[in-house]
Amino acid sequence: MRKILLLMLLSWTSFAQQTISLSDLQAFAQPSTNWSIEGAVRATYSDTSFQVATGKGVLLNTLRHGKYQRTDDLTFQLNHGDMRLMLDFMLPKGANSGIYLQGRYEVQLYDSWGKTKINFGDCGGIYERWDEGRGKGNQGYEGSAPLQNACKAPGTWQTIEIDFQAPRFDATGKKIQNARFKKVILNGILIHENIEVSGMTRGALFDAEAAFGPIRIQGDHGPVAFRNIRYETFDKPSASLGEVKYTYYSGKFTEPVIGQATPVMNGTIPKLTVKVVPAKNDYLIRYQAELTIPDADTYEFETHWTGGGVLKVDGKELNQGAHWYSDKVTQATYLTAGKHQLELIHIKDFPWGPQALGLLVKRVGSHPVILHDRKSMIDPQAVGIVEVKANAEPVMQRSFAFHLGKKKTHVIHVGDPSGVHYSYDLKQGALLQVWRGPFLNATQMWHERGEPQTSEPLGVTVVMDGRFPLTLDHQAQPDSLNATELVYKGYKLEQGRPVFMYDWTAAKMQLEDRIVPAANNIGLKRIITFKNSSSLQSALDFSIASPKQIAVVNASLVGLKDQSYFIQTTGGGVDFSVGRQAVQGTSLTYQIIW
Amino acid sequence: MKNLYSFLAVCLLLPMGVVAQKKSAKTEQDYYEIKTLPIPKDIYLEIGGIATMPDGRLAVSTRRGEIWIIENPYQKENHQVHFKRFASGLHEVLGLAYKDGSFYCSQRGELTKITDTDRDGVADLYVPIYQFDLSGNYHEYTYGPVFDKNGDMLVTLNLAWVGFGEGKFAKWRGWLLKIKPDGTMEPHSAGLRSPAGYSINDEGDIFYGENQGDWVGSGRVTHLAKGDFAGNPGGLKWAKEPNSPFKLTLEEIQDNGAPMYEAAAKVKNLKLPAVWFPHAIMGISTADILQDSTKGKFSPFPGQYFVADQGQSKVMRMGLEKVNGVYQGFCINYREGFQSGILRERFGLDGSMFVGMTSRGWGSTGKDNFGLQRLFWNGEMPFEIENIHAKPDGFELSFTQAVDINSVKKAASYALRSYIYKYQHQYGSPIIELKDLKISAMEVSADKRKVRLVIEGLRQFFIHEFKLTGIRNESGDPLLHETAYYTLNQIPAGGRIAVSETNRMQVEKVEKSIQVVASKPSGKSIISDEEAMALLKKHTCLACHAKEARVVGPSYVDIAKRNYTDKQILALVYKPNPQNWPDYATAMAPMSHVPAGDVLKIASWINGLKNKALLNRD
Repeated sequence: MRKILLLMLLSWTSFAQQTISLSDLQAFAQPSTNWSIEGAVRATYSDTSFQVATGKGVLLNTLRHGKYQRTDDLTFQLNHGDMRLMLDFMLPKGANSGIYLQGRYEVQLYDSWGKTKINFGDCGGIYERWDEGRGKGNQGYEGSAPLQNACKAPGTWQTIEIDFQAPRFDATGKKIQNARFKKVILNGILIHENIEVSGMTRGALFDAEAAFGPIRIQGDHGPVAFRNIRYETFDKPSASLGEVKYTYYSGKFTEPVIGQATPVMNGTIPKLTVKVVPAKNDYLIRYQAELTIPDADTYEFETHWTGGGVLKVDGKELNQGAHWYSDKVTQATYLTAGKHQLELIHIKDFPWGPQALGLLVKRVGSHPVILHDRKSMIDPQAVGIVEVKANAEPVMQRSFAFHLGKKKTHVIHVGDPSGVHYSYDLKQGALLQVWRGPFLNATQMWHERGEPQTSEPLGVTVVMDGRFPLTLDHQAQPDSLNATELVYKGYKLEQGRPVFMYDWTAAKMQLEDRIVPAANNIGLKRIITFKNSSSLQSALDFSIASPKQIAVVNASLVGLKDQSYFIQTTGGGVDFSVGRQAVQGTSLTYQIIW
Repeated sequence: MKNLYSFLAVCLLLPMGVVAQKKSAKTEQDYYEIKTLPIPKDIYLEIGGIATMPDGRLAVSTRRGEIWIIENPYQKENHQVHFKRFASGLHEVLGLAYKDGSFYCSQRGELTKITDTDRDGVADLYVPIYQFDLSGNYHEYTYGPVFDKNGDMLVTLNLAWVGFGEGKFAKWRGWLLKIKPDGTMEPHSAGLRSPAGYSINDEGDIFYGENQGDWVGSGRVTHLAKGDFAGNPGGLKWAKEPNSPFKLTLEEIQDNGAPMYEAAAKVKNLKLPAVWFPHAIMGISTADILQDSTKGKFSPFPGQYFVADQGQSKVMRMGLEKVNGVYQGFCINYREGFQSGILRERFGLDGSMFVGMTSRGWGSTGKDNFGLQRLFWNGEMPFEIENIHAKPDGFELSFTQAVDINSVKKAASYALRSYIYKYQHQYGSPIIELKDLKISAMEVSADKRKVRLVIEGLRQFFIHEFKLTGIRNESGDPLLHETAYYTLNQIPAGGRIAVSETNRMQVEKVEKSIQVVASKPSGKSIISDEEAMALLKKHTCLACHAKEARVVGPSYVDIAKRNYTDKQILALVYKPNPQNWPDYATAMAPMSHVPAGDVLKIASWINGLKNKALLNRD
């Protein structure tokens, strides 16, 4: 149960997001003419500029005249303090940009694709500070390199999420707490957690730190594109709770109803806590307190308890039911400004399970407020991860694995010292996912009993369709093949890497499937060779993807699934209108690039 | 360094003091020695399978999916051994065999043949022999293969666990399958729950060990013939398949808590265990079984069986006989004190036994997370029960040494009783229908190696417990192991012994030694630590609990913190409530066979620990 809570706390819960409109440039203060709103951008992984299609939704910086300069930086109209920001960006090869929170603290955007050694100046890095007074060669200081290189290929859309806490100042204007990057997540990989910055990055928009400031995007180093800019700020006041009166009843309560019971104890405490309960089980405790609401709005209450309970505001029942403390129970209600009566009844009629009681309130535009005393809730312990490394030679590891929400049981993960890895469904002859970075997290398989028996990528992952890629006679591609249609015959090792062998009975032929690192570390190369294919009477198709998932970049390169990765075909014969390639000869070769 | 030396000095002195006091009593290690194979520090050798190789090497497979080949495993001139990784990347390999230059192993989802085709010492060809269905539940463990004499492979498939054992999510879960090298599969027998250990004896019969659980009142070993149903109905969905060797549905099985033999009277295929291993006494999680086929090299008991226990880190001995064509026999402790939880046993080329261990997620008395040890007999003959045979009116016990006539003549030398377990969907069972047995007559063979007992009230199908506390050899030594459990499936026909004045059992007055103890919380222990430890050991409590450390169950100090009264402790010992200890993986077994007087003594000692803790704080 502990682990469940841990996952809950670690996951980036979907936040109440607002959007920066990219229908026009209204959200920005005096943008230079390099900035425009477009419909789509495309580039190969080696292009240094974009192909552009007109329309709305994409914010593009591209050189229109002269050369890039400081005035090409883009400042948002929005002033913010604490902020969660999430956006997509696309870099052409060699691009350099950055996101300055409050116009002062920079998270670097940079084409760091494929670099093995990275520092603060690489993509997602918290850029260094600068002080001329430190003397020549020593001016740069601080800065924080990402935990790993989570940068994807130029020409793919990448995502970044930044959870930023603004610096705090006292009434005299003196800074009492530094700004902090609570979390930075690049392409789904956590690259910073709770990194404090002592001051502004070089090139900040202002001379001094302050509670508020606008986002600024660096536009002076070349082309870059953005879309889906979403955020939440946390400046509004939220609810607060006065002192808490409690009344304690002893006995076996199966429902949070007092009935005719008489209290055995009561008192007043400064904060809500379950620690006033003297028994381990068989009790009912009722807490009452005054809830102060600053503004009329919708407030979401989150409760935790082991046992039963009910939360009421002004007599209206909100959260209730029997739960384990790690269950997160939420209920939203509209409240007017002013005083309200909060009542919480908690029961526990069984001896096992940790005693715990938690109450939080969240309003859009403010951080969650914890209304319970810290000791009233369980502080979960994290488990150190069990990592499978692929540093010296190719490494294989079978496990269960989740793919598109389904647990697959006959999966092999293959890691390579070059840093590109994949998961493969042995029953389907299909790629499930490919990734770049560290190899495999086997904690869910090798910690204790390993009840999930799953393992997960540790690097930037692109999810594949999990289907056998070939079809006969232009037939539709099935979701899955059964064990008599495609017979798994094992694998042999070549240079330490597996070659998967199959009998494809429908085509009356044997296959060998090789997936190896592509040249120049751009991704993976897959070569499927057909044995005794001379007897093949039928047409053979490679199903790339459904046409609507395809963005054609050039005759052999397509961006797939919202341009999150590329497929590069060889040999021609691709029909983009159906998303297929007619296979010629005795093998099929294509590359997956991300 | 000075501190280190004084620490070492203390370590060395303490045990010596203990040994000095008990110099005379012989222990298991005086006869059955354990040698530890050192494991390189970066290897997680969580052993699921062991295979000996004819060239003197040993291969082990692990839960982390590796196969390691070990050179010098017999530690002949040098204690160091040498590890080389042969294969990796497999999925929890809980069984390994070596045949004709290839390894065969079970992964969760596959029976795989693994070969080193270029003979560079590392596998390069992984070929599936058979693919198993899986639902993705962690408890769907796969064990094997074990080769039969035809070269076919036996594989057993654990049930899923969803609060109870369940086999319906994936095909053939809860079954033993026979798979030919070409991948042809034949379902063999069913009713398995957690069949981690199984093997074939000299006569070609298959035996498997079962863990206590739902429909399994206690650990046991069952003989599986084709079409047998061993009792857990979790996998019966597959008895509807056309190639199932029998037809049976869950609805045909009674679930009224009556003993299994009553259900077996109605269900033809329901197979009773050959030997029950009373839970918590003879293990808590039966693992591998191996018949001593070493012709006297491994043990003083050639032809008998050695059954490992995962949770209690020990090896037990089992003797079988066939009565009316049915296997039955006894079990008795053999050697405890292994370093981790034993899953696998295999005989080495020299007749010693390799013991492969892992306890991750399961817990075990042995503190290490994993380990590899070798068990062998040093050739000295211990005083042990050699064998027990059923007779029409009782039993014949044989001993490894001549017995002292006076000791076997006394009724007080023996305590016999019989009992059985419930057969029910609930997890485990208390002991039921407990009855003390009276020995009416006794005869000793001329060589004083055999004792024939005539017993009143033999009950077919019941576990007959023998406690031979008073029996001595001619040097006056007690038995190395005084307690054995015989499962009496069949009572043989034949001659009975007439009770006469010459063979009638001598009954002398025995003092009732159990004191009645105050049941209110005394707050003060009425027994010393030494007495408590002796009681805890006698009743096998120490298999799962220690005074201060968490083992399989909580420490006594932690139990003391719960502030139970002595009476509450008694109630919980007799009827444990696993929900009181949700952080522990293994539920405690009801220990209702332990006399209340002893439990209350232990309870007062536990509660005394609390007082000590408080005192120490001041």
